[in-house]
Amino acid sequence: MNLPDFQLASHLIVLLATLMLVVQLLMVTQRMLITNIRLFAVQSLFLSGIAAAVAFFHHAPHVYFMAALTLAGKVVVLPWFLKRLVRKIGIEQEMHPWINPPTAMLLCGGFTLLGYLVARPFADTGNLGSNTFGVAIALVLMGFFLMINRRRAITQVLALLCAENGLFLAAISLTTYGMPLVVELGVFFDLFIAMMVLGILVYRIRATFASIDVDRLNQLKG
Amino acid sequence: MTPLLIPTLAQTALVLVLAPLLAGVIKNWKAKLQNRRGPPVWQPYFDLLKFLRKDMVLSEHASWLFSATPYVLFLSVLIVGLMVPMLSEQPPLKWFGGALAVIGLLALGRFFLALAGLDPASAFGGMGSSREMTISAIAEPAMMLSIFTVAITAGSTNLGQIVHTVAGQSSAFLNPSHLLAFAALFIVLLAETGRVPVDNPATHLELRMIHEAMVLEYSGRYLALIEWSASMKQLVLMTLIVNIFFPAGIAADWSAASAGRALLFFVGKLLLLSGAVVLVETTNAKLRLFRVPDLLSAAFILAALALLSTFLFK
Amino acid sequence: MEGLPMLLLTLTLWGYVIGALAGLLCWQREKLANLLSFGSATLAALGGLGASVVCLVGDATSFSIRWDFLESAVPYLKFSVRLDPLSAFFLLIVSSLGLALSIYSFGYARGFYGRTKVGVLGAFYNALLLATTFVFIADNAFFFLVSWELMAMTAYFLVTFEHEQPEARHAGVLYFIMSHIGTGCIILGFLLLFQASGGYGFIGFHALGERMSAGRRDAAFLLFLAGFGVKAGIVPLHIWLPAAHPVAPSNVSALLSGVIIKSGIYGLTRVYFDFLGTPPLWWGVTLLVVGSVSALLGVLYALMDHDLKRLLAYHSIENIGIILMGLGAALMFQHANHPLLGAMALIAGLYHTINHALFKGLLFLGAGAVQHAAHTRNMEELGGLIKRMPRTAFFFLIGAVAISALPPLNGFVSEWLTYQSLLQGFGATGSLTRLIFPISGALLALTGALAAACFVKAFGITFLAQPRSVQAERAHEASPTMLAGMALLAVACVFLGLFPNQFLPLFDPLTDQLLGVQISRQLAAPGGIVLSSLGLEAGTVSTLGITLTAVCLLPIPLALWIFFGRAAARQTGMTWACGQKTLTPQMQYTATGFSKPLRIIFKALFRPHRAVQAEFEFSPYFARTIRFESHIEETFEARIYRPLQRFILRTSRRMRALQAGSLQAYLIYIFVTLLLLLILTL
Repeated sequence: MNLPDFQLASHLIVLLATLMLVVQLLMVTQRMLITNIRLFAVQSLFLSGIAAAVAFFHHAPHVYFMAALTLAGKVVVLPWFLKRLVRKIGIEQEMHPWINPPTAMLLCGGFTLLGYLVARPFADTGNLGSNTFGVAIALVLMGFFLMINRRRAITQVLALLCAENGLFLAAISLTTYGMPLVVELGVFFDLFIAMMVLGILVYRIRATFASIDVDRLNQLKG
Repeated sequence: MTPLLIPTLAQTALVLVLAPLLAGVIKNWKAKLQNRRGPPVWQPYFDLLKFLRKDMVLSEHASWLFSATPYVLFLSVLIVGLMVPMLSEQPPLKWFGGALAVIGLLALGRFFLALAGLDPASAFGGMGSSREMTISAIAEPAMMLSIFTVAITAGSTNLGQIVHTVAGQSSAFLNPSHLLAFAALFIVLLAETGRVPVDNPATHLELRMIHEAMVLEYSGRYLALIEWSASMKQLVLMTLIVNIFFPAGIAADWSAASAGRALLFFVGKLLLLSGAVVLVETTNAKLRLFRVPDLLSAAFILAALALLSTFLFK
Repeated sequence: MEGLPMLLLTLTLWGYVIGALAGLLCWQREKLANLLSFGSATLAALGGLGASVVCLVGDATSFSIRWDFLESAVPYLKFSVRLDPLSAFFLLIVSSLGLALSIYSFGYARGFYGRTKVGVLGAFYNALLLATTFVFIADNAFFFLVSWELMAMTAYFLVTFEHEQPEARHAGVLYFIMSHIGTGCIILGFLLLFQASGGYGFIGFHALGERMSAGRRDAAFLLFLAGFGVKAGIVPLHIWLPAAHPVAPSNVSALLSGVIIKSGIYGLTRVYFDFLGTPPLWWGVTLLVVGSVSALLGVLYALMDHDLKRLLAYHSIENIGIILMGLGAALMFQHANHPLLGAMALIAGLYHTINHALFKGLLFLGAGAVQHAAHTRNMEELGGLIKRMPRTAFFFLIGAVAISALPPLNGFVSEWLTYQSLLQGFGATGSLTRLIFPISGALLALTGALAAACFVKAFGITFLAQPRSVQAERAHEASPTMLAGMALLAVACVFLGLFPNQFLPLFDPLTDQLLGVQISRQLAAPGGIVLSSLGLEAGTVSTLGITLTAVCLLPIPLALWIFFGRAAARQTGMTWACGQKTLTPQMQYTATGFSKPLRIIFKALFRPHRAVQAEFEFSPYFARTIRFESHIEETFEARIYRPLQRFILRTSRRMRALQAGSLQAYLIYIFVTLLLLLILTL
């Protein structure tokens, strides 16, 4: 691999990682549920772009496979499934976060700074995309934060998926070829199962409480 | 002085002539996108001419400040127009001020316009002034931070120098910090020029308007100056954005050939950005006034991330 | 060269003494007292102005005077003063403002004829100027503290000058307590310095920090920050300032806000840059953070206040914050060993110091003229004054533009320098701490924009539109001397805005003294009118150039008028009132309404409270009477000071058990203490 190519690829990956970060921030501010799902799809699209770029420049075919899987699973199937779920149970469009968006944004800015600080020792490994590790950590943190900040079960699922996107990015940035394929597949499969379970759960919660506000779960204590 | 005189005259003419056209183009395209026919792109010129010829009615409560404001606003925006690199990396007034002076002069015009809004004792004017000052205040940190980001990369607040540095980088458009700063400034542009998610440029006399409420009492020649200034401000801010972030085609000097080529590029870039603005305006609804801070805080965080990413991806 | 400034300085000091004595002696003849005390102050201020300019322009950088005859009267106390460039710069501030204020006072004091003792006002006014001058030129810690206390006391008497009003008495007490807490910290700080140097002379303190242990140095830093911070009004030590400044007579308010709080800045500059040596990084960071927070909170509270003078007092907190940002950046550069940048940041801070003195003085004088004419400071009762007092309005507008940091006036120049030093600081320093520069730059931008919003409110509601009360309708233009005082300051604001290059060389001896570099040549680009930030590539600005360009471009709108609009008529009509017949003053936007969007946006800070009670007969939309109440929480009072106060009261109640009231008990306390001390010495 010659040097200009490497630089171009590095630029491209960094750019896509930044876009992922921007989309994540938009999700933090966005109040509409459907838009959030679309944003998640866009973020996953960028992620699969990164995977494809890594695969192309490293000539690693199995990473292509991961890219394709992400594209199929997270850009197409999962958003479709979630949208269908939303429509089917007809929940309210606007979600009510605990913390107001400006403050949440500031917190997320802080997370990014933290991610950068933590990732600094790993930034110089010279791998393609190793400098996106900070972004990956920030994405995981923001995913967790979103999970805490949102009240609806379905938005928590979405946040979990975002955190997983961050993990995937971390895997790409830390190792040369991403995680071993088997591990990757396993994670993906786990997630899919989790989605299904949660989908059913959401349905059940609604059937029981006529709401999918997870706050209501504390009524289960009896 | 002669080598400086021609560029100065050229850019003054460019700012004055191009600004209404750009406003007309945006209005026309927006109408087209909404399946309306829309006014011709030349309409703003006819409007200005009409306003200039019309009689003027001044409020009985207004003071001299009301009459002075159109001039202050017009001149301050025009000077800003001469500080921004348009065709050449060397704007005519490059020694007289850079990014900070641009922000300061725009603020000066706004200050007087807001005062003029209060002057005729109308409730609408006060409301417009109050909202204008509020929104510009919360837009200011995002604007300053994104300007800081590009200024730090260039090591200068001189706009010509900034454009020169960016033009020198081969893959600047791939640079995440540039991308983020661009996004932040684009949001600020929407807020500062009163575009749809923040203000609606097409409404009169609705309770949600900002700019139109402030200038409600103006008529005739003064209104012409104010409308012209508003369109010049839009042109200047858009120029700032296109030339800082996409300096392609900008001339290094003021020779006729390179300036002509630069003009083509410049107009093309402006039209692209206008397209983006039109798209945003058409696909979004206007936000409630108290949702605007959400948007602008997003711009602020984007600018902060732009700054952070100058470290992040070293 | 030494003779002239020494002579002028001596004249100045005697001038204030004579002015004070004359005011006291002639207190029964008001006109004479007015003329003598303020006349004497005018001349004295002129002398001080001359002395400082000669000192800053000339080669003789510093000299000292001692008065031995006083020393024999008071043992241990050395009455010695020294005029070095830093002192001279602050002397310039106090003298130039003193000059304008004294001229203004001739007319202003007439408003007190027959009501209060003008002579007493004049006497205290002179004494305050004298004490402040002494603070700036004192040459040893003892004399400094004596002058400091004299300044605090005279200021107290002036704050409570209109002591019939409970508001003034309350503010006075608060000021007195806070001021003494500050003085306590300063005394402790000086004791630390004394311990290291073994003397009280300021010369012996020079670069003393290098010989102190790190812990003591840091302790001294914090003590002086708290002590001088109280005087300067940094958040959260500011609570006395918005209470005390507005209640004093307006010429004194201008002096308090313009100069007295600058004594805090003087103290900080003197101690940090002259005494404490090369600073550690966190000092600069602390100062920068404190400055940013003070600036932002100051302007936010100013926005919520509708008392014209209290609004201005809050703006003093804001501007002190901006000054501290410059000083903090300078300390950080000093740590990073960048003397040039340090000098630029220091100049930015000090330039803003004199600018603030000028425009804040101007604004307070304008507010004083308004209060004089309309008998109220409440903006909701003002309005329409631009037609009744056009000149005052014009001068106030100049001050408002200057304080909002808008080009081409002086506030813009000093904030431009601050921005430039913050910007260059990012490139010049390493490590992550440098992120603080752009962040504080963004906060400064927010502060500036909010200040502009605040002054649109202050000027727009007070001077524009229709008068909101009968008093405002009957207002009249200020007297000629008052206008002259304001005009002087307005001209100074314009001068410092348009000709920074002519003013910057005055800083050369100062930066040479404190940092060992002279940078006015680097800041002033060749050609004379362009100000550059240490290099033409790094950024330039020219306020004069902008103004001249504006003049050159003015023919364009005029030509448009001549070509197209000649035939157009110009008529006066009613303001559109949605079809109603008349437009009453109640329909205008109020100050409260104007700042409402910001009150809601920053509601986490203000915690606004609002209550509406309406009485109606058939529909709530047609209310008969309506009562609206809205106020914001005073966060610092409620969250910090009141709990502290409660704690102190609780502790004192417990301590009361010790106060048995019997003589034997007290004797036992003394005896036990004595025993303990003796045992400790073993």
